[in-house]
Formats: sequence, structure tokens, C-alpha cells
Amino acid sequence: MPLLEVENLTKRFGGLTAVNNVSFHVDEGDIVGLIGPNGAGKTTLFNLITGFLEPDSGTVRFKSEDITGLGPHKIVNKGIARTFQVVRPFRHLPAIANVIVACVSPRASKKLEWLKSPERKALDMLELVGLSEMMFESAGNLAHGDLKRLEMARALATEPDLLLLDEPFSGLNPIETDYLTKSIQRLHLDGYTMVIVEHKLHELMKLVRRVIVLHYGEKIAEGSPKEISLNKKVIEVYMGKGAT
Amino acid sequence: MVGTFLKRVYSSFATKVLDVPPRLLAFLFFLLLLFIPMAKPDSYTLLILTIAYIYALFAASWDLLVGRSGQVSLGHALFFGVAAYLSAFLSKFHGFPIWATIPLSMLFCALVAVLIGVPCLRVKGPYLTLVTLAFPLILFVIIFSLPSPVGGEGGIALPPRFFPREFFMERGFSLSEAVYLQTLAEYYLILVSLFVSSIILYRVANSKTGIVLVSILDDESASKACGINVTKYKLLAFAVSALFAGLAGGLYAHSFGAQGAVAPEAVLGLTTSFYPVIMTIFGGIGTIYGPIVGAFTLWTLMEFFRVAAELRALIYISIIIIFIVKWPTGVAKFVVEKLNDLAKEREIDERKKKK
Amino acid sequence: MIENLTNLLVYGAISGAVYALLALGFTLIYGVADVVNMAHGAFYMLGAYAFSVFLIHLGYNSITNPSPFLLFIALILAPIFVGFVGTIVYRSLIHPLIEDALSVLVVTIGTALILQQIILFIFGDKDMPVPKLLEGSITPLGVTVTYHELLSFVLSLSLIAVLWIFIARSKIGGAMRAAAQDREAATLMGINTERLYMLTMAISALLAAIAGILLVPPAASPILREWTYPLVMSFAIVILGGLGSIKGSLVGAFVIGYVEKFVLIFFPGMGFLKGAAALIVMVLVLLFRPKGVFGKRVEAE
Repeated sequence: MPLLEVENLTKRFGGLTAVNNVSFHVDEGDIVGLIGPNGAGKTTLFNLITGFLEPDSGTVRFKSEDITGLGPHKIVNKGIARTFQVVRPFRHLPAIANVIVACVSPRASKKLEWLKSPERKALDMLELVGLSEMMFESAGNLAHGDLKRLEMARALATEPDLLLLDEPFSGLNPIETDYLTKSIQRLHLDGYTMVIVEHKLHELMKLVRRVIVLHYGEKIAEGSPKEISLNKKVIEVYMGKGAT
Repeated sequence: MVGTFLKRVYSSFATKVLDVPPRLLAFLFFLLLLFIPMAKPDSYTLLILTIAYIYALFAASWDLLVGRSGQVSLGHALFFGVAAYLSAFLSKFHGFPIWATIPLSMLFCALVAVLIGVPCLRVKGPYLTLVTLAFPLILFVIIFSLPSPVGGEGGIALPPRFFPREFFMERGFSLSEAVYLQTLAEYYLILVSLFVSSIILYRVANSKTGIVLVSILDDESASKACGINVTKYKLLAFAVSALFAGLAGGLYAHSFGAQGAVAPEAVLGLTTSFYPVIMTIFGGIGTIYGPIVGAFTLWTLMEFFRVAAELRALIYISIIIIFIVKWPTGVAKFVVEKLNDLAKEREIDERKKKK
Repeated sequence: MIENLTNLLVYGAISGAVYALLALGFTLIYGVADVVNMAHGAFYMLGAYAFSVFLIHLGYNSITNPSPFLLFIALILAPIFVGFVGTIVYRSLIHPLIEDALSVLVVTIGTALILQQIILFIFGDKDMPVPKLLEGSITPLGVTVTYHELLSFVLSLSLIAVLWIFIARSKIGGAMRAAAQDREAATLMGINTERLYMLTMAISALLAAIAGILLVPPAASPILREWTYPLVMSFAIVILGGLGSIKGSLVGAFVIGYVEKFVLIFFPGMGFLKGAAALIVMVLVLLFRPKGVFGKRVEAE
């Protein structure tokens, strides 16, 4: 049974069809890449899956349960966590408080070990992403790379079964990129299922086993990284018609 | 280990004043207020201070809602008025004792908050502000149209006071002494209520719940992405805030209100809704101590201006406005921040000396 | 019954037109500058007072010198004066705090209170009669309409039309529309937002003042010192129609105008209910359509 099943998902904004009849599935333990040129509908797709937007038609099933159209916090509490393309930290709070918010969620509270407090768990998460030194620093003062790690800590704190990462590599320098690649590999080994939207194809192809390509809201290809890189349609979409 | 860790987590959130924790300062301040009656002030002064405490509580309750969750309510007089009215009504016309009617009214206010909160909190930003404004005004009109002695312009006249004169006279005090003691007893009762309430409000504001509320203020969507049921927390903030606003209303009804009447204009009017807003912004929003400082300062200042009768209100409000424009974060917050900066500088100097 | 209905039809429309003027002012400064102006009702009140004062200084007297010419002059001068006051208020109090919506709100509250105190101080308890613009009335089809009311109706609609064209066609109007959509983008495009907002505030206050001049005479003068009622009505209308939407304010104004007149006509003696009725309508609308009928998008997810 696939962990996540997306069937015929469609979303229109007035005259524009942002996501058009997209279907795919993700098995447990998978690590799937979602790519496509800007405006292809990748973030919209994430928003539809995570409940930030309601689809016009189609269904989303998670662990065989229909979660289409549920509110975002309910979906998080079912086990799907996401990060945002443009980081959304709580700027008024110190880093550790940012993660405490996630640790207080019903799901995180339920999965908390017996004698652990949410504050302790938040600290653990920060240590996991390498931010424990900054824990009392106000999130508004943190650098971009640190904020990306904070987003990750927050997402992980909700104890997700499925992790949706929206452009996690954007804005990172080579050192941070390397660290993130290793982190994602480690998470994968720990058993997290992931769907990653990314433009930095070089980094992405190293990590994922399967790739889905979107273009103008439609799924135009799906396959292994190697297959996709040789797919004529995909090359056309990225390089323009003259490239093939 | 967990204990000290917890303390550090929240201290980065609260503030330190020089080397003295703010809690100590606040405690000293209340101690001072406790000893004021030793200077044998007259009844009027005591009354002014007592009312200042009531408004301080009212403003602090507003601050919990607005300063922490960011839902700006311009209709907080609703809870103040509902509690004042209900408590006065139940105690005067149905003979319930005050120590029962006030908690009852408080709980009723929390209930009202949840009831109107569900539709209101679906609405965002300025819409929320304006719709909250409507409720006390609608209730005002309803009460206005009720027949007296329950309603009408006069409201409920002479609800029972906390300590009736007989209470003191039975114990051998003369009439004039009893009158003074009434006011004195209320002074202490309300001061202690303010003290206890502000501690509770402060603890709530600086708890994990408070952190979640700030996350909602900061970025509601991101908060939802952390699994937080935003509506539930907003309602919680609303209800707790209403509870304490109700306490303020109840205290008002049986102290100041009991010396005249609990009238709709005074407890449900637009200006009543404005008081906590102005006091909190003046003192510093989101701090709990800010509104308390604001209430004291502004209320006592207003008395000071009573001398200049005609122009006083004008000058008074102008001063407030100038203060707000010059120090938008709030006077108390500004002072505390400056002191924090001084403390940090001293810390840096000390570290340099050690090297 | 029929008489009541025809009265309602006519009076509601007249009220609606002038309320539209009032509401437009409120929604304009919100749409363009994101300011919820709690002093809007105070400008209304100030307009009526200024009108009276100008008339007195111009030598007008309802008995010895009821010159329509002087009325006309005062009708021009008073709103301009109030618009000027609005500009000063904006520049000195609101603009320094424009980033913080809550502080702006508080400062406008303070302004309203200050204006009320100033008026109280200058005029004390004296009632200032605000004369009607025209005397006399006609009674077409059994409905008595004063000339003042007719003039109010025509004047209001004309002003609204002028404003509409101004916003839709002129360069400044374009700047307003741009700022209403995206303040930062407007600044980046070279629009001096400070000056634009000052101008918008002037227009907003001016509209409120005219509404005051038109609406106060038919009512009793104790309302003169009341700035809360016009403010509350502005809210109800603007929420109903959608904050920031001109169309919405127009629709909302007529709805609220009719609601107000409905209460006055069918519940005589319970006139104080009209404010509550408007507010209840507002609350109900908000419950079912949180953004009002034509609301401007307040937030993006």
C-alpha cells in the first residue's frame, strides 16, 4: 500500500489551471524528486497535499485515508510535514521557541517519550540540525542558511511519516549544500519518506530514486534520474525546442 | 537540570533589568502599593488608586489577547460590562453573595468569548477589529431599552458593595470610620486581585501556550504547518482574556459602581473599550506589565489634571498621543529595553576586564 | 402601510446617498493607506461645526440674512478646512507610525478624542445650529421631501460620480489604485506615498465633513457633539460592502441607509435602535461573508 496516493488532482485559479489532473504515488521509504520549470505548479501541488489549498477535483490519500481538503494542521497531525520555499520562521521568537511550537502540536505531544519535555525535544531537534548554539537567538536575526535548518527542525519535530521539502537547497552555499545532502541521506536511512521539490538538479539527482516532472501543471514524465535526464520532452521543456 | 534549562528558555523571552530579575521589581512595586495606606491618604485618593487597579487588570487582560495572539479587539468593554452587569444584577435582585456572583460572571464572560469568538475569529485584521467593536454597542442598546430598575440609561443602581458599612459598625467603628474602612478594604482586596491576576496572566503569556500564541501572531500559516490548531488557541486566548476582563468588571461593579450605579455608558461604552487599548499601547504591548504601568500612569495623571478643568482633557490626551508617537513601542517597554541594553553593556565590559 | 413604504423608499435612498459619501471617505483612506481612521466620525462632526462657524463669520443669519450665496461659500470652505486638518493629522501623527497598524489605530482614537475635547472647549454646552442648505419642501406622491434633502441627494451622487471618474481616470487616481494594491510596489515605481496619503486623507476628511453638513440639519442638534454614531455607521457600511471597495461602500451605504430609515419609520420612539440595527446587519454579514460583499483581499496565504 503506497504511503501517499495523489489521484487526478486539479486546481484552477480563475482562468489559469495551476495543477492539471496530476496523479502519482509515493511508497514508504521512497525518496522522490519533483521538478519542473518555474510556474509548473510544484508548490501548488504541495499546498494541495498539505491542505493549504483545496483542490477543485481529485483526491489525496495518505496511509489509505482520504485527506483531501482537510485543514493544514490536521494533515500535519496525520503525519505529513512540509518546509516552505521561502522560509517562514517566527521572527518574534528565539530559535528554540520556534521548534517548541511544533513540539506542542498534538501529534508531537503524543509521540513524546515518557519523561521528555517538549523543551527538551526542541533542543534535540536543534542539535540534530546543528543549531543548538543559536537556540536563544531571535529567529529574526538568523542567517538564511540557519533559517533553512530551523525550518527542517520544526518539520521534523512534528514526527512526520512523510516529509515534503520545498526547494531546501535554495540560497545555500557549497558547505551548507553538502551538509544538507548528508542530512537528507541520513534521514532517508532513518526511514523518512520524502518528496523534494528542487531546481538544483545536480544535487537532487544524487539523492532521489525517482523523479516526477511537471510542466504547466501537468505531469509530463516520471522515472529514474537517469531516464529523466535522457527524456526528450523533459530536455525540451528545460532547454527549449532547439536542444534535442 | 531540566529546571534550570527551562528557566533559561523563558528568560530569553522575558527580560532582565540590570541584575535584578523583573519579578523582584514587580514584587517591590506591589509591596509599595500595599504600604501606601500607611500614609493615611483620604478616601478619594484610595478610590482613585483602586479604580486604577481595576483598569490595570482590564488592560492587562486585553494585552494577553492582543499582545500575544495579535487579535485586536476593540470591544473588550463587552466582557467588562457583561460581568459588571451580571454580578450587579444577581447580587442586587436575586440576593446572591458577591463572592459567588463575581466568579460566575467571570465564567460567563469566558463562555461569551467562546461563543462570539467562533464567528469573529474567522474574520481577519481590521474586519476583526471592527466586528469586536460592535458587540458591546449592541448590548448597550439592548440594556438601554430594558425597563428600569434593570436597564435604561441609569443601569442598575446601587448594587451591593463588597463590605457593607454594617460590617464595620458591628465591630465598634463609628459611621465615618466605617465609610473610610469600606474604601480601604476594597483597596486591598482589589490590589491583591490585581497582583494575583497579573501573575497568572504573566505566566500564561510566557508559557508554551504563550509561545504558540506568538507564533500565531507572527505567521498563522506557518503555525498551522507546525500542527497547531490555530482557531483553538485563538479562542483560548480570547476566553482567558475575557475571564480577567470579567473579573475587572465584577470588581468595578461592587466598588465604584456600588457607590452610584452600574450604567451602560460607563461599562459598555466605546470609550470603555478604548481605555485598555490606549493604556496598553502607552505602556508597551505584549508585556503584561506595560498595560499595568500604563493604567497607573494615565489614570493618576488624569487626576492630576483635574485641577485645570476645562483644558485638562485636551492637554491630557495630547500628551498621550505625543508619547505614543515618540515611543511607539510603549513607555514601560522602552525603559525596560534601555535598562537591558545597559545590562548587556555592563556584561560586555566585565568580560573585557576578565580578559 | 403604503405610505410608510413609499417614505422608506425615498428617505432610504436619500440617506443612502449621503452615507455613501461618508463611507467612501472611510474606505478610501483604508484602501490606499491601510489606515482604519477612528477619527472619521470626528471629521464629520468637525465639518458641521466648521460650517456653522464660517457662516457666522461671513455674516449669515437665518433670520436677518439668510443668503444662499453665503451658504454656498461656507459649503466650500468648511470641507476644505476639515480636509486641511485631516492632512495635518496625517502628517504629524499617523505617518510616523504608518508601519504599525495598531499604533495608527490608537492615534486615530486619540485624535477623535482630542477633536471632541477641542470642540467641547470652544463651544461648551452651547448648541450650534447648523442651518439647512435650502428651506421648503415638496410633496410628490404623498412623500414629503425637503429641498435640503433633495439637494443632499443630488450633491452626494454628483460628488461620488466625480470621485469615481477621478480615481478611474486621473494620474493621481491611478496612483491611489496602485497604492491600494501594493504599497511597496507603488513606492518602487516612484510614487511619493507620503504625499499621496496626505492627499487621500484630505479627501477622506473632506467627504466626512460634507456628509456632516448635509446630515446634521435634518436631525436634532444634540447629535452635533457625537462622533461615535457616524463612525459606527461608517464601519457597518464599509464592512458590509468590503473594506477598500468603492462599489462595496456604495452598496453598503444604501443597505444601511434603508436599515436606518426602516427602524425610524416602523419603530417610532425607538430611534436609538438604529445604530444597533446597523451593527447587527454588519455582524451578520461578516459571519457569512467575512470579506464583505466586494472585499479587498486583506491577506494572502
